[in-house]
Amino acid sequence: MSLWQKKVLDMDKLKHFIEQSWLLIVSSLCFGLLVAATDAGLSGKIEKNKADKLNRLTLSLLREVKDFVPVDAQFEVGLGRGKSDKVTVYRAVGQTQECVGWSFLAVGDGFSGRIELVVAVDADFGKLMGFEVLASSETPGFGDRIKDDYYRNQFKGAPAGELKLVSAGGADKVDSEIVAITGATISSEAVVVILNDSLGQIKEQMQKKGLIQATKAQSHEGE
Amino acid sequence: MANEGQAKTGVYRNALLAGLWKENPTFRVLIGMCPPLAVTTAVKPALTMGLSVIFVLVCSNIVVSMMRNLLKPHLRIIMFTLTIAAFVTICDLFLRAYTPAMSEILGAYVPLIIVNCIIIFRAEACASKSSVVVSMLDAIGMGGGFTIALCILAGIREVLASGRLAGIEVMPSGYVPCLAMQMPVGAFVTLGLLLGLANVLTRKKGA
Repeated sequence: MSLWQKKVLDMDKLKHFIEQSWLLIVSSLCFGLLVAATDAGLSGKIEKNKADKLNRLTLSLLREVKDFVPVDAQFEVGLGRGKSDKVTVYRAVGQTQECVGWSFLAVGDGFSGRIELVVAVDADFGKLMGFEVLASSETPGFGDRIKDDYYRNQFKGAPAGELKLVSAGGADKVDSEIVAITGATISSEAVVVILNDSLGQIKEQMQKKGLIQATKAQSHEGE
Repeated sequence: MANEGQAKTGVYRNALLAGLWKENPTFRVLIGMCPPLAVTTAVKPALTMGLSVIFVLVCSNIVVSMMRNLLKPHLRIIMFTLTIAAFVTICDLFLRAYTPAMSEILGAYVPLIIVNCIIIFRAEACASKSSVVVSMLDAIGMGGGFTIALCILAGIREVLASGRLAGIEVMPSGYVPCLAMQMPVGAFVTLGLLLGLANVLTRKKGA
């Protein structure tokens, strides 16, 4: 077979390929452009929705807050099994620019899928101001009740980083003992573990970076 | 001429009405059964899902019908999938931008419309063989039938599970909510009973 014949054969192949697939190629391009245009038009709004939700949840936890300022440093929270997550911590500032607390996003495994929590603590990382569930897929009617006030209120004012889950007791008393939700021990425990892990690790890193005072905060919450 | 016109109207009416009952995708043909089981815990998400499917179905049927004469038989499925995926992505972006709460409840089920049988079934069975107008009416009918089925299922489940319908209290205050209805088991039981009911109704008609 001469070189010329081979070239003709190659051309034929190419022609066949284009004949068969031009519609696919052209419409892929058109649909791609269509999706890209929609995305370009809406991505700003989608990002804003996300930020709004985070703001709304954090505001409901920390009252008397004027603004949130992201802390410049990066924080790493180990999630066990060698995985870790980068976390941004926000400083909540009050009317006169003083620091009234901190908030951050904490994640971990629940009974079914990931649980994402918005956590707020007071200025020296001593007490929890509470948490809100940003996303979860716990069983409706059982694990889902981690969103309920009666469970969440136990955390408001509880000492940060040293929570313990108990199966019975007064849910209305605020202390380090968290009463589990009946029928949803795993979900209740998941929240406690997520809070303990993330709070402990972030507190340590905050102290190392000099963002909060180490000894004072410790002795304050000594007992 | 008059006869032809009448025949045409008949075709249009059939295309529009078949999906509502005679070929209802959920109750009669039993395809696309994932959303009826997964997103019918309450009426609002079910309605959102139904409307999203109508949007995707109408768009993909119109596009497929327009290119039906250009389709190569062995490449048609990939063309259908491509078309559907593009419109589902657009629909997902719109939901996330304008109804973030609904988008969160529906979660992964919106992107999963891509693999919803109904849409590829209508592209194959109707749009790739019929004119644009017939395809569009068929899409509206099928999508409408699907949405109605979702809403019936979701209505029953929401009332029994929470005593509310579309967020409004409807049951007397002493009603004890049946939590099982909110879980997958409630979806299967309700769907089974409704399918049985649909069978009983059609059997009587046939006799």
